[in-house]
Amino acid sequence: MHKIIKAWLIGCGVIALASCTKTDNMPGPNAGFQGRLLDVTNSKNNFVTETNGVQVKLEELSWSATPTPQYIPSKPDGSFEDTKLFGGHYRVTPTAGAFWPVDPVELDINGLTTHDFELMPYLKITNFSHRLSGDTLIMSLNLVAPKTEGLPTIIDLQPFVNNTKFVGAGANISQYTTPTDQSKKNIISINSNWSDAIAQTTYVVKVPDLIHGRTFYARVGVRVNDSYKQFNYSEIVEIQVP
Amino acid sequence: MKQLKYIITIAFAGLLLASCHKLDIAPLNLIQDKDVFANENGVTAYMATIYKALPIEDFYYRNEGGNGGNGFNRGWEQFYHPGALCGELVGPYGSTYDGAGGFGYWPYADIRTVNYLLENLPKNAANFPKEKIDQWLGEAHFCRAYFYFALVKRYGGIPIIRNVQNYPGQTLEELQVHRDKELDVWKFVASDLDSAYLLMPEKSVRARANRYVAAALKSRAMLYAGTIAKYGAANFVAGDARDQGYVGIPASEAAGFFKQAWDAAKLLEGHYSLYAKKLDDKEQNYVDVFLDQDSPENILVRDYSLTSNTAHSWDATMTCRYMTADGLSRAYPTLEFVERFAGQLPVVNTDGTPRRFNNTAELMQGVEPRLLATVYFPGASLRGLQFDTQRGIYEHFTGTAAAELGLNPPNGPFRHLSGTTNALWPDDNGKRIIGFTGISTNDDDRTRTGFYVRKYVDYKREQSQCGLYMSTQSWIDMRYAEVLLNRAEAAFEMGNTTDAVTVINQIRDRAGATPATAAITIDTIRNERCKELAFEKQYWWDLRRWRIADQVLDNTRFHALMPYYLYDEKKYIFLREIEPFQRSYTFEKKYYYEPLPGGELGKNPNLYPNNPNF
Repeated sequence: MHKIIKAWLIGCGVIALASCTKTDNMPGPNAGFQGRLLDVTNSKNNFVTETNGVQVKLEELSWSATPTPQYIPSKPDGSFEDTKLFGGHYRVTPTAGAFWPVDPVELDINGLTTHDFELMPYLKITNFSHRLSGDTLIMSLNLVAPKTEGLPTIIDLQPFVNNTKFVGAGANISQYTTPTDQSKKNIISINSNWSDAIAQTTYVVKVPDLIHGRTFYARVGVRVNDSYKQFNYSEIVEIQVP
Repeated sequence: MKQLKYIITIAFAGLLLASCHKLDIAPLNLIQDKDVFANENGVTAYMATIYKALPIEDFYYRNEGGNGGNGFNRGWEQFYHPGALCGELVGPYGSTYDGAGGFGYWPYADIRTVNYLLENLPKNAANFPKEKIDQWLGEAHFCRAYFYFALVKRYGGIPIIRNVQNYPGQTLEELQVHRDKELDVWKFVASDLDSAYLLMPEKSVRARANRYVAAALKSRAMLYAGTIAKYGAANFVAGDARDQGYVGIPASEAAGFFKQAWDAAKLLEGHYSLYAKKLDDKEQNYVDVFLDQDSPENILVRDYSLTSNTAHSWDATMTCRYMTADGLSRAYPTLEFVERFAGQLPVVNTDGTPRRFNNTAELMQGVEPRLLATVYFPGASLRGLQFDTQRGIYEHFTGTAAAELGLNPPNGPFRHLSGTTNALWPDDNGKRIIGFTGISTNDDDRTRTGFYVRKYVDYKREQSQCGLYMSTQSWIDMRYAEVLLNRAEAAFEMGNTTDAVTVINQIRDRAGATPATAAITIDTIRNERCKELAFEKQYWWDLRRWRIADQVLDNTRFHALMPYYLYDEKKYIFLREIEPFQRSYTFEKKYYYEPLPGGELGKNPNLYPNNPNF
């Protein structure tokens, strides 16, 4: 009797398991898309950004006329890559970063497709230099606007400091950008439209109270009041506080 | 045998006759139009369904859907307050993102219920006197405007559905409607409210609309439209939906909307008044604005009761367990909110040292009565118990407040904090380190900022009656003070400063505040609104429609007022610290409009383009 029940149960189990098997003959996400975001003012270099500082928006037109967008975040070096995409026809737009809006590009993504985008930053940080005075980091810089007509209001300059080389608005020690002590202002507010005065000013951004004996990574960001309020960055500098 | 033949024949005939009858009777378990639209009780019951679905952002409302749910009629956790997304309160929300995207509100089923009444009630007009028909149709227009207002303030342009849609009577192509422009939706809200005003009588039963309720809603809605037109034209997110007018209103329309807001607000003059039953005690008077059921200030309320199983939990969730019977509190007014009234509180001497107080209650001296009636300060009392709020004990304290708040606080080694109310200092026989009402280093079921919400808290309710789902004070969805503020803002935007000042001073007089002068700015009027309508779930929408949310909430951290006991001096001091959770709040510009619900976009591709950046 027990044998019969067991055999019957095993039989049922096999049938139950087998019943769920469906043949999935759709291709997997075996395509990839990668490329560089280039700075149009100096096309040898990548656009200066941070992790997720720019997003590459993908709309899979071969799937639907109104697809739900997916986004590839930028890497800190200004490149992007996603190797788990479905092959097909896509509309691609770099977006959500501190650059003049660009028109979308339609292309087929099959295998590992490469495409570079040229972006024009709202602002560039030039003549960037830094020095340490005691436990205060002093960074000085000038601002350059590659295109001034229609440039949104410039909001502010913010220092970002972190203890790894990944540093920017998305990764920093907040104490060094907005100190809890209200009397200390590390952020320089500008809140005005582009002018010759801004172009001629040498801005000095100070970060006091760095901890002695540590290594920090720092950069300065400037942002304009566009749809995204993202930052154009300086290069990253390494600081060893004695 | 013959008998058998008869039986068979009769049976056969019987079957033959019966077979041609079709079972065509109305189902008895569904209420039919003839029952609803035949008598007054039927229509009243139908209206009750609509009013119940009205998107009133009451005690139960949250700005997010939680586990895919709705923002309305949520549970007892009433500290999930929209104000805690944007710095009016600090609360359980980790950041602004927790609620900025909304919850996919899409009440077209409720709008269909309204449209059905609008189509079918006139067909049964013979059953009722004309005034009754007009009143109900007016209420229906009011309710439909209420739904569309709730939609347009979230999404901008959405499809305007004026008639009952039928499926499968209509084809899919007919049912997949396009979005309407944002401007057209605001105009539709205005026209529905105009119809409602003309159709409805002057008086209504409690919690139901009359013509002035419609006018009050119109003043609110048109003010929203005007500010969105004016400020949204300068601060916006670019995208297809904006280029095609689905979000955004041309700035040239602003003046017209402001005028409509002002005109609508003016209609209420003389019909409602500010609550002023106990003007000799302005603090108590202001407390009772929200608790006196018969306030002449109430325009539209929603009632709750134990018997109908609708009682809420405001009392149990706004103050801590020390004062209540159940539940816990998790949302607390920020110091930034308190400083809206008269700037920074006088807690620092001119030489920079913290001012010494004999007891914490001394801080309340000279504070505007309305503020004292809106938040519980340290030292205030409720149900015979005192808010003994205390962050910790300093053995001794020297130097300035600013130095103590810096990176290397000189008195830090002499400071004692605690996560439990049992901790004493000195260890044996000492004084309690933190009060029963906070401020703990561990959790947030006691205040994080030094303050508690007082508005709407029923001080007469016994502590044992302050449990979950036991509070019955009404939610005031619209009150006359808001209408006055709508009017003042609209007047100022139109350049009529005199009227704005007059109206603001009515509110300030009742509040016990100093009168405004002609030197006021738009910020004065906005600040007055934030003060008067605090914790009434308006601040979130105000920040959005003024298009300043992305500046007010820009990696912003909010502050607490921390009372400390100085052990050697036997005095108290207050320090202005960042609230202990140190949360930062950021509003991304794209959230000036919520994304259209993904499920609806999937069903109807004509709803595209979605709002910019979604």
